[in-house]
This record gives sequence, structure tokens and C-alpha cells, in this order.
Amino acid sequence: MMAPGEVQYATPSAARSKAAVIFMIASRLVLGAIFLYAAYVKLKAPWQLFAMSIDSYQVLPLGMAEMAAHVIPWLELALGLLLIVGIGLRISGTITALILGTFFALMLRAYFKGMQIDCGCFGPGETISWKTLLRDGSMVADAVAMTWLAFLQKR
Amino acid sequence: MKLCALLLTAALICLGQSMTADTSKCFGNPNAAVRLDVFSDFECPACRAFHLDLLPQIERDYGPTGKIFIVSHEYPLNIPAHKFSHEVANYATACARIGKYDAVANSLFQNQPTWYSEGPKPGQFWEYIAAVLNPAEQKRVQALAKDPSVIAEVNNDVSLGTRLNVNSTPTLILSHGSQRYSLPWPVSYSLFKSMVDGMK
Repeated sequence: MMAPGEVQYATPSAARSKAAVIFMIASRLVLGAIFLYAAYVKLKAPWQLFAMSIDSYQVLPLGMAEMAAHVIPWLELALGLLLIVGIGLRISGTITALILGTFFALMLRAYFKGMQIDCGCFGPGETISWKTLLRDGSMVADAVAMTWLAFLQKR
Repeated sequence: MKLCALLLTAALICLGQSMTADTSKCFGNPNAAVRLDVFSDFECPACRAFHLDLLPQIERDYGPTGKIFIVSHEYPLNIPAHKFSHEVANYATACARIGKYDAVANSLFQNQPTWYSEGPKPGQFWEYIAAVLNPAEQKRVQALAKDPSVIAEVNNDVSLGTRLNVNSTPTLILSHGSQRYSLPWPVSYSLFKSMVDGMK
């Protein structure tokens, strides 16, 4: 029982836990919104545009680039929804981190090979640069941290 | 929300009207369902690839059907590695005034590895322009390349590109009705064809 006027201080571990929860909520909302936007931009345009972006990385044969152009936007949409709703965060977080990590690695490869190509992240018109790398690198770090915290949390 | 939609529509209409075409730099039927605006730089190797590889395929497949209207725009990049881009764009535009744009553009792109800034004969583009002109045409082009209206035309192309967020070359903008798509480079022809064939 606290006396009137007495201030209750959170213990360091409780404060850390609260900060982790806030970080996780913010991360999944931000990443979820980004994924939904990325999916929206790709789905509203002809699929060939995204296939051209994938093809320009020169890592997949054309047939597989076409298949990826059909699949990735729907995957982004599903992940965006799962992240925002917050269901199955360990699985959705892991997939998010893996996907973002793959995109980031491909962008790094293109950048260091001097390929002046579009990132393809949010539709055409955005050439890979240190800015896009910084943005996507931050997203990877965020997704990894969020997933790690999700695994640390008690079920 | 309605206001936003109205403003957006007005902006698109204005942009559409401003994308006027110098008819001597065009290919195809002006009333075609699909329009391709090409922003390129004569010193850019990727523009050479577009001009020599992709453009002939597009013209071959869509020329007879009249489905695409292609408009070429000058977009000389203002970078140290492209010292002659702007001057060449002026000369090419001068050639367009006498109806020789295609022939001169072909010659310039074919010989780009020779005359471009880092080639063995940097800046000696005139001999490849002159090669497809008769002496009278050469004289006219020499005069026209310094004509303020030609210089203004090139500058207008650059301004238009800047308004359309062109930041690299070649930039290909495909329009169909009110839809406008900037194509990521390099463009796979089979994907391009699949996209255009899907536009009714």
C-alpha cells in the first residue's frame, strides 16, 4: 500500500521490459505499414514493371523473375497485415527479417558492382544509392531486433 | 479528398499537355493507344544499348500495328564524364529540323565509343553527323545548332524531364490513357512487349 504522494518507481528490469514492448509495437506497425505500402505500389501497377526491376538485378533467370514479380507483392501484403495485427510475430518477424535481409544483400551487391539500377522497393524511379541502402539497412536491423525480442518474450 | 483528386487530375492533364512532341523526333501514329517518351543522352552507353538494341525491336513489332507512338527527348546529363552531351543534343535537334534526326541519332550512337568523352577521338562527333548529311544540309545544321530556338528546345526537354523526375538515362515513360509508368532500366524486351500487349 502506497502512502499518498509517494511515487512508485519501476524496477530497471520492468522499465526495460516496457521499453521492449513499446519498441516491438512501434517496429511491427512501422514495418507493417511499409510492407503494405510496398505491396500496394506493386499491385496497382502492371506486374511487368516489378519483373523488370527484379530482372535488372541479374540474379534470376527471366522466368523466375516473372514468378517472383507475381508472388512477392502478395507476400508483402500478407506480412504487412500480420505485422500490423501482431499475430504470430515470431514467424512473421523471422520471414520479414529474412526477406529484408535478402533484398538488402541484393542491393549491396548491385551497388558495389556499380550497377545503376532501380531499387524496385516501392516501384520504379528510385536508383540504388547510399540513401536507399541506409533506409533498407535500418529496416533489416529493426526487423532483426523486433524478431529477437519476440523470441525473448514469454508466451 | 475530392479536392486532392481534382488537383491530381489537373496536374496530370497539365503534364500531359506539356509533353508536346517535336514531330521530327517521333515515330508512329500520334493517336496510338500507347505512348513511349524516351529521355536520352548521346554520351550514355545505356542509351546506346536502348537505341541500337531495344528501339529497333519496338519499331519492328509495333510500327506496322500503329500501337505505339514514340517520342525522343534530349536529356544531356550534366556530369564531367559527359562533356559533349549538351552540344551533341543541340546538333541532333538541329538535324531534326531538317528531318534527319533518325539517321544522325543512329550514326552518333553507333560511333559513340569513338567520339564520347573517354573515347579515342573525344568530341569529334561532327564527322559522324556529317557522314549522313549532304554539304548543303551540313551547312544548315551548323547554323541551326547555334540557333536560340534549337538551344531552347533542348533546354525545354531537360526541364520536362526534370519535372517528370528523370534522374538517369535512358528514362522510358510509358503512357496509356491516364496511366503513366516509368520503366526500370535495363528493360527486358519480352516484359516490355507483354506489358504493351496487355494495354488495350
